[in-house]
Amino acid sequence: MKLNESCSRREWLAEVFQPWKRQRAEGVQGRQAMPVTVPPASAVAAAPDPPVARVAVIQGRFCVALTSFCAVCVERCPVPGALQITRGMPSVVADKCTGCGVCFDVCPAPRKAVLMLPLAGRLGAGPVTNMNR
Amino acid sequence: MKMNATLDRRELLKLSALAGAAAVAASRAGVAAPVAPSGVTAANPDAGIKWDKAPCRFCGTGCHVRVGVKEDRVVAIEGEPLAEVNKGLLCVKGYHVGLALYGRDRLTHPMLRKNGKMERVSWEEAVDVVAKRVLAAPDKFAIYGSGQWTIPEGYVANKLMKAGLSNNHIEPNARLCMASAVTGFLSVYGVDEPAGAYDDLDHCDVLILWGNNMAEMHPVLFSRVIDRRARGGKVKIIDLGTRRTRSSEFADHYLEFKPNGDLAIANGIAHLLIKNGTYDKAFVEQHCNFRQDKTAASLNGESMTFEEYKMALAPFTPEHVAELSGVPAEQIHMLADLFGRRDLHITSTWCMGFNQHNRATDINRLCHSIHLLSGHFGKPGDAPTSLTGQPSACGTAREVGTMCHFLPGGRLVENAEHRAEAEQLWNVPAGRLKPKMGYHTVLMWEKFCTPTNQGGDISTIWVQVTNPGQSLPNLHKLFQAKKGLEDKFLIVSDVYPTATTELADLVLPSAMWVEKNGLYGNSERRTQQWFKMVNPPGEARDDAWQNLAVARRLHDLGHPGLKDKDGKFLFTFQDDAGKEVPVWEWPRYYEMNVDKVLFEDYRRFSRVKHKDLAPYDEYVKARGLRWPVVQQADGTWRETRFRFAEFDDPYVKKGAGVQFYHSSTKDDRAQVWFAPYTPPAEVPDADYPFWLCTGRVLEHWHTGTMTMRIPQLHGAVPYAYVEMHAADAEDRDIGNGDSVLVKTRRGELRLPVWVNGRSRPPRGSLFIPFFDERLLCNLLTLEVTCPISKEPDYKKCAATVVKAGPQAGKVGSI
Repeated sequence: MKLNESCSRREWLAEVFQPWKRQRAEGVQGRQAMPVTVPPASAVAAAPDPPVARVAVIQGRFCVALTSFCAVCVERCPVPGALQITRGMPSVVADKCTGCGVCFDVCPAPRKAVLMLPLAGRLGAGPVTNMNR
Repeated sequence: MKMNATLDRRELLKLSALAGAAAVAASRAGVAAPVAPSGVTAANPDAGIKWDKAPCRFCGTGCHVRVGVKEDRVVAIEGEPLAEVNKGLLCVKGYHVGLALYGRDRLTHPMLRKNGKMERVSWEEAVDVVAKRVLAAPDKFAIYGSGQWTIPEGYVANKLMKAGLSNNHIEPNARLCMASAVTGFLSVYGVDEPAGAYDDLDHCDVLILWGNNMAEMHPVLFSRVIDRRARGGKVKIIDLGTRRTRSSEFADHYLEFKPNGDLAIANGIAHLLIKNGTYDKAFVEQHCNFRQDKTAASLNGESMTFEEYKMALAPFTPEHVAELSGVPAEQIHMLADLFGRRDLHITSTWCMGFNQHNRATDINRLCHSIHLLSGHFGKPGDAPTSLTGQPSACGTAREVGTMCHFLPGGRLVENAEHRAEAEQLWNVPAGRLKPKMGYHTVLMWEKFCTPTNQGGDISTIWVQVTNPGQSLPNLHKLFQAKKGLEDKFLIVSDVYPTATTELADLVLPSAMWVEKNGLYGNSERRTQQWFKMVNPPGEARDDAWQNLAVARRLHDLGHPGLKDKDGKFLFTFQDDAGKEVPVWEWPRYYEMNVDKVLFEDYRRFSRVKHKDLAPYDEYVKARGLRWPVVQQADGTWRETRFRFAEFDDPYVKKGAGVQFYHSSTKDDRAQVWFAPYTPPAEVPDADYPFWLCTGRVLEHWHTGTMTMRIPQLHGAVPYAYVEMHAADAEDRDIGNGDSVLVKTRRGELRLPVWVNGRSRPPRGSLFIPFFDERLLCNLLTLEVTCPISKEPDYKKCAATVVKAGPQAGKVGSI
């Protein structure tokens, strides 16, 4: 999916959450995401839908990786290499991040450590999304 | 609550655990969102919140939390900065511990199965049903509790069974968890529980994780070590395991061994220490004897000479060990060289990898033995330390002795002297305590699931604070076979519907954690106290009350055991003014501090094995105290960090240096054991070519009854999966996320596959976490136990994997 295409967030979420694309083990380097199936329709429908191109940012001070060895965002990220771990802390590789928000959704920190920022200059960039509400 | 952008971040963090961001994710994750705390405003987030201390409800680490309460509801959690265990930090589960109380489906009233249907009944009727089941067949009644019982709860249940009903069929789920550590400590030191403390983690130069995934299971402890590194400290981490885990990522050396290879590795280290002359001669000559099981497996074995010990170790050359374990010979040399160095401090930790093992007592013994042999003992940073999985596995199951062979304070039911002491302390007639051990867990459930006319002589089990319907091994045989046995009766006290309540005939709603007073004892001998802070929902009531109410009903119905020598009820409670309070009447239960009375009663038992506990009020002030807690000349109470070491343990004779004052050989020496390599009970073959290992994950605690109801944790790991090696998956044309059927000789289970996931099992090896009640991996596991501890081996059996389809199945929408 191309990020800078204008599409409704609903369509876009549906694509992100599509049934796990079968990945052959062969040739897959490094980590593979935890298999996740489609969320209930109601959950998708309930999501806010501003068509905004975004990028995830990890806010270190809220992240529980250092005390808890948590890496759920990295495990569940559907884009290989978009989230990486350096010295125990996850970080986003902005060029690879599609802004899908899975990391935001699954972050179990008491205060979400993932911030979804608008991708300035890209088509569809808008104000900071209200996901952090 | 609204997370206003202008809200101060620090204040936000304070309110963190129960705060609103969770609700957004929760709604998308399709799970119950927490009800937002009412009245907490952005302008004044602290308004009206009352804070108090409590140990975390989850694992055995025993972190302390500060609990914020408003309007009879836990609204905030933060790490307790005053606690030595966690110094203000918490793991991802700990931050959300408050939400464990607020799942939508809390049990709120007693339910009795009538004509196959669960119907609401009054507490009056429920207590009556229990009492009459007991009266009908007192010897066929059993209580099955856990290491999550508070100390007073376990004490009431234990006293009710052993002193009241002369019945030793009481077991905790700790039999599935820590029993092998107990037999290990007993056979080496003559007394249970670690000599060291968490302080060792701050002082060790080398940390050896023996099949121990500390990063996920005890993250706050592991972060203590990793934090030392971050501050420039040097600590070498060696991870010995059967699969790569998150802990391996931080290890300097990862040594992967074949199942049961740990026995060979430990013997290989001992072999080299002796061959190279690098063992600590002075320490061994002064403080150690040698022992082995010559014929049958037993707790204390038979003595052997040093020469015999040396001979027994002779075959365990590094090459032979490499063959048995799969760990290269040079790595065995590396380990032996480390142990051979006196200038290093070495701490070993283990948990279920050792304890759930068909030779669990042996591997526990061997680990202690290499520490003793090399003198890596009794100094800060030099300790073999077992970690517990439950918050009070030590405090309740082990110390209160809620096991079929124990009496409180480390006494044994089979020891006449111990029985006489307990009878005296409980003021019951001589001979009241039954000398025969009760059924251990696996046997108890086997007897319960066997028809009465075929020898199934347990007819009623009262389950408290645990979930055997999910956590017992080989569930078809040990739990689900209860279905259809009309004369068997299952009573379950719990807070949520579980796999166990599904087969229950009577369900009793319990209060949990800060809905009641309590005391827990963690892995490092630390006893921790808390007060009730909120009311339980509906008609839920304290487990201790439930036991007391049944005891009183039995008394009133005329069971003679519920009276002491003087004809008085076994449990009497006097308030501060000396007036007796009938606490078995629920409205009067909190008229006084029942916990305090029970704890003071129990405390009298703690001296015989030098597990001295301080008065209740000392624990109110402290963030936990490690026993022995000994009163000083000035009247203050001092805890002990390092047992058996003169510099810290007041019970060690002056000048002795190290003294094992509970030595089983009565000569102040510890036992260095030889135990041979023994293969696993079930080994992969052509039909079942894989090893299957089960265990926990960071986000979920045990059977997930609490953590799966916490949206953040549920969302992070929504369902169980099976991990396998990429090449094995490839061989079977299995892709990541595919649904597979995992089969063993005992059952089968459909699961999604996670390849190259969180942990990496080697080729020919599978791993399934056990938290998911929809995907019960214990339908597959083996009920073979260690011959001494009777703890089952959940960590290895033979399995096969068959591809089942392209989708992950119905379960597991995030």
